[in-house]
Amino acid sequence: MSRKVCIAGGNATPFDYPMHITPEAMAANCIVETQKDIPDFTLRDLDFMVYSHFSVHFGKQLCPEWVIHDHLGLVGLPHVRIENGGNTGGSALYGAFLAVKSGLFDCVGVYGWETMDNVTQSQGSEFIALASDTRYEALAGGIYPIYYAAMAYKFMKENNLTEEDFAMAAMKNRNYAADNEKSQFYRSDYTNPDSPYYKKTLTIDDVMESRLISYPLKRLDCCLMSRGGAFALVTSEEWAKKHAPGNYVEIAGAGLSSCTIRAGDRIDFPGWNEMYGKGYPDMTEFAACRRSGEVAYDMAGIEYKKAAKEVDVAEIHDAFSSSETQIYKALHWANTDNIREFVREKRTFLDGDVPTNVGGGLMGYGHPVGATGIMSAVETMYHLNDTAPKKHLSSKTYVKDANTGLVNSHAGTGTSISNFILRRP
Amino acid sequence: MTDKRMHKIPGHNDVKWDDKNSDKFRGDVKETGIGFMGYDYDTATEQFKVFLHYDQLYYWKYAEVSKLGKGFVDGEFWGTKCPKCGDKFFPPRVNCWNLDCNLEKSDWIKLKEEGIVHTFTIAGWSGKSSLKRLPFVLAYVIVDGCNTAIANELRGIDPWDAEFGMPVKVVWKPKDERQGTVTDWHFEPADGWKPGPMNAEKERMKELCQPVIEWVKTMK
Ligand SMILES: [Zn+2]
Repeated sequence: MSRKVCIAGGNATPFDYPMHITPEAMAANCIVETQKDIPDFTLRDLDFMVYSHFSVHFGKQLCPEWVIHDHLGLVGLPHVRIENGGNTGGSALYGAFLAVKSGLFDCVGVYGWETMDNVTQSQGSEFIALASDTRYEALAGGIYPIYYAAMAYKFMKENNLTEEDFAMAAMKNRNYAADNEKSQFYRSDYTNPDSPYYKKTLTIDDVMESRLISYPLKRLDCCLMSRGGAFALVTSEEWAKKHAPGNYVEIAGAGLSSCTIRAGDRIDFPGWNEMYGKGYPDMTEFAACRRSGEVAYDMAGIEYKKAAKEVDVAEIHDAFSSSETQIYKALHWANTDNIREFVREKRTFLDGDVPTNVGGGLMGYGHPVGATGIMSAVETMYHLNDTAPKKHLSSKTYVKDANTGLVNSHAGTGTSISNFILRRP
Repeated sequence: MTDKRMHKIPGHNDVKWDDKNSDKFRGDVKETGIGFMGYDYDTATEQFKVFLHYDQLYYWKYAEVSKLGKGFVDGEFWGTKCPKCGDKFFPPRVNCWNLDCNLEKSDWIKLKEEGIVHTFTIAGWSGKSSLKRLPFVLAYVIVDGCNTAIANELRGIDPWDAEFGMPVKVVWKPKDERQGTVTDWHFEPADGWKPGPMNAEKERMKELCQPVIEWVKTMK
């Protein structure tokens, strides 16, 4: 068996819209913070840099990673940039995982960022819509929340759910974000006297009363655009044991899968019909999430049926409250028969069996696309290495005794999805 | 022998564009390229921001899918069908998606301009260029029994009256306004279709739409 791969450490910047710090300064900040957790780590340890950045439209700079790389003083060191929609962060981690797993490198830096506050929210929505099939979808007035809403509405109907059921995740993740001072909800709402949610613990009614984005999704069912950066250090087990004892976690499973760019093309796709039966995933299920989750579970030796019991803490891609709910099903935590109870019994809340997005998730912490998946990995790590109480404002959002974590990163209309299983060594 | 799966690429000087309409919808849009438009400074935090404007005209070549664009301009719906497995595509795929068909080149077929709503949503927010159309229904429709669904606007209906599985027809823009893109047409309920009675869910959707309708009225 090939060698084990670990995340030795990592950190994220605050996420916000707008925020005034350059991508290269965010990278420097993240590395400096990582050195506080693993004092042994210096830039000279790096063998390879994987940059994670979604859209060059936001910065109007092609190859923006080149600016960061030489800013960090890393000339001579090999570097690549990975771009894979909303799953850019997860895909960059996957790339770093492969690089270490192959035996070629021992210490790989992964830095992701996005500067979405360079444009207005509606302009930004149009930029992101350029990752849908522009010939057939963006021109028809579609933007991602609309595509997701069309999928969510059918999912809601077929799984006997309500708007209120989706609202549970929207409420949960933002309320957890109030305990995380780096989160966008904390910065732009919870501590902002001008926000209607200033010092407010959100309720289901707050979600239900927020403005329509695209039925059944309201404003609070959706994540926001952000500026932010995140860094993770992916290393061999040997490196991690030597330089980051007490801080590192093992990547016990990694899966990456893909689906159609247009959601309407997956109602009868031969590849899925063959794998999961005719008509799956339709426009309701995330087949690439199920597939990449199963690959990660297999690698980590987790039985699908027992996944909800085995996973102690998870950070999943809640771009929308509905997608968090759809992901519960794709990851085998729930099925058509019990998803309603799974949601209503608050199984993914801190007191439930799979605390999910306790760092705030995309709806609470924010979604600067290239940084997001890395933030999710780092937030999961904080529980597995017990640093959550000092990373968050209190230990209220610390999942004690967690041994197994799940990280999920998700792109397009479910077009590319990665899942990772992290373990306390 | 050329492999039949190969798509023909016109010779370097073969494309003459004898039918030019390139300025028909341009209006007063200017291609400004890249330029700095101004700056802001905040004395207290010493933060500096510049304004960059970037504007370019792009050319999309439909190439082997050109039949689709020409069809739209002529008010015709062209999809494709795999001669091997029979799968039918709209939007068209010019090679079959079935791995067993091994990139079989599909045949163009004229489709009936009718379909069934597979799923839909009522948009209350969109990209900058679509805000004034809010609220609108975006529906994914299976056109003429295809193995895929295509997204487009469903008009001619109160948004909250849309239904899963409802029959729809294609309605074209006037001929001289067509650009050869999906915005040349939209869906409307099929002739004779009547919405079901109001119910709690429709009332909820209607209530959510009201502020959007009011907000759009305030837009210039
Ligand atoms: Zn075929």
